[in-house]
Amino acid sequence: MTTTATYERPRVRKPIDWWRWAGRGFITFIMLFATLPMLWMILTSVKTQFAAMQYPPQWWPAEPTLNSYIKLLNPNDQIGQDFLRYFGNSFYVSFLTTVLGVVVAVPAAYAFSRFRFPGRTFLFFSVLVRNMFPAVVFLVPLFILMRWLGLVNTHGSLVLTYLTFGLPLSIWLLKGFYDNIPIQLEQAARIDGATRFQAFLLIVMPLSSPGIIATSIFSFIGAWNEYIYAYTFLSRDDQMTLPVGIQRFFTEFATDWPGLMAATFLMSVPVVVMFLVLQKYFVQALTEGAVKH
Amino acid sequence: MAQVVLQDIVKSYGSLYAVNHVSLTVDDGEFVALVGPSGCGKTTTLNLVAGLLPMTDGDIVIGDRIVTDLDPKDRDIAMVFQNYALYPNKTVYKNLAFPLQMRKLPKDEIDQKVRAAAKVLDIVPLLERRPRELSGGQQQRVALGRALVRDPRVFLMDEPLSNLDAKLRVQMRTEIKRFHQDLNATIIYVTHDQLEAVTMADKMAVMNKGFLQQYDTPKNVFDNPVNTFVASFIGSPAMSLVPLEVVQRGDQAVLTNEAGWELPLSAMNTRKALKATTNKVVLGARHSTIKLHKSETVGAVPARVYTVEPTGDITFVQAFVGEAVVIVSLDPTVIVRPDEDVWLEFDQERMHLFDGETTMALSAA
Repeated sequence: MTTTATYERPRVRKPIDWWRWAGRGFITFIMLFATLPMLWMILTSVKTQFAAMQYPPQWWPAEPTLNSYIKLLNPNDQIGQDFLRYFGNSFYVSFLTTVLGVVVAVPAAYAFSRFRFPGRTFLFFSVLVRNMFPAVVFLVPLFILMRWLGLVNTHGSLVLTYLTFGLPLSIWLLKGFYDNIPIQLEQAARIDGATRFQAFLLIVMPLSSPGIIATSIFSFIGAWNEYIYAYTFLSRDDQMTLPVGIQRFFTEFATDWPGLMAATFLMSVPVVVMFLVLQKYFVQALTEGAVKH
Repeated sequence: MAQVVLQDIVKSYGSLYAVNHVSLTVDDGEFVALVGPSGCGKTTTLNLVAGLLPMTDGDIVIGDRIVTDLDPKDRDIAMVFQNYALYPNKTVYKNLAFPLQMRKLPKDEIDQKVRAAAKVLDIVPLLERRPRELSGGQQQRVALGRALVRDPRVFLMDEPLSNLDAKLRVQMRTEIKRFHQDLNATIIYVTHDQLEAVTMADKMAVMNKGFLQQYDTPKNVFDNPVNTFVASFIGSPAMSLVPLEVVQRGDQAVLTNEAGWELPLSAMNTRKALKATTNKVVLGARHSTIKLHKSETVGAVPARVYTVEPTGDITFVQAFVGEAVVIVSLDPTVIVRPDEDVWLEFDQERMHLFDGETTMALSAA
């Protein structure tokens, strides 16, 4: 005779996991810490000058206005003209830094990953030495160098500097991607009729696109946000990049808080947009290009 | 299809010789296996034939062309890699089409050839999938497909079965052999598994430490290994090798060891043994040529059983003769126990004698 025993799952009341709740609390705090200033920036940018200066503060703008934005984006207005020029300068410098960075970092990283040549390890680590020092340390020497090269007051001085600072990370990151792509893929392509360069272009490049996108984001943001070098190397008003230009807004129109906040907000837009757009490709590339090890 | 000739090829890294003056000819339509332990230079040799590595010295001829200085793409070869090397971002169809696209074939011809190859390998339903969505066996077929779609002069295969599980490996072994027969393809096949080489190849090239040891049909390599390395590498279980000393008694040679026993040799084996450069010789015998006696027998040497491994229809016994391990196969009805004293009788017709110093096989002639 068989009997079917019924088993009852013992009901144990789980104790409250205080660590878990502490963790959640901490995450909430960090989140607020990061987002509240941004929220305040956006709120202030749509206030009138009067509302922005009120005390006690007006938490929520009573009469929201886009005046500051209209002024900044109006090319006929003096402020708008300056702002748009700074914006253009920043974009030009950052874009050039990013493109040149990829053009240099991709072959460099590929060479470090695939070729064995004398001095390879030494070169690779000497590329990284730059990152051991804070950027300001190089300010004066680089300024002297740029003056000697006649590059002071040109965007070229900034692009060169940003490349120097951005390349080590880009090369390091991309080398990791190339290391993970089996060399047999290139060998197969070369046997299938591709030249060495075609094998790289048609097979390796598409597989390393997540790395290229990631390094592009890094170098673009780095160049976009950089302040101290732009401030030192450039003195002509029409060459200023945004971080420095906004500083000028701040002194010249010290009381125009909504204008400053609106400018700051507009400055963050390209970075956020780029991140949102490229992140999609980033994830897609990561999953689709997955290489089996 | 074409003949492949390796003329005295060398690949060295500084003072290290990965491939040391190897010469061999693969005839048109022949299936040749390069076999040896890891690090023996077999994969390097294959990569030299493919043109993926620069060669230090020597020449490679494919068909009527010296290809030594040609790029891989101009050698008209196809290669199947151990990890298949399928392009992960391309569908199966595009993987198969890639070699044809690189040769700038018209689109409809590419389509026709891809579908024909897919049909041969039974992968038509997989054409729109990506490599990571395929099983190991399917990936293997796609890799084969990409090789055969172009109708190359030579197929190079680098351990194509070693990433498959045991059952699939046996199945794919048959399929590759069939593939060779149907296409009458020239194939150079690298493997560390001597069983794959023996079962599939027309000829096998046994390599060790960069040197080509022996190049012959599997049967000849199995029956007449040229040295102790080949003897111990080919065959499973391996040939037993017993280092002994040779002493002359009148016109007959006898083998002895420290234990003091003597094994008289036949007239032919005497001639062989006396050719040795010193009095050291190595006796080689395959498990099936040794008879095990449970009591002292004339012409048999004493041994002590170490382990007994029943496999079903054959029982393998490992026994010590002096310091050397000898493997004997027995009918499973014979019962032996570990540490039992037994006597082993070597078949004089089928035993091998090697020079104890040079390790080369001794011949009577």
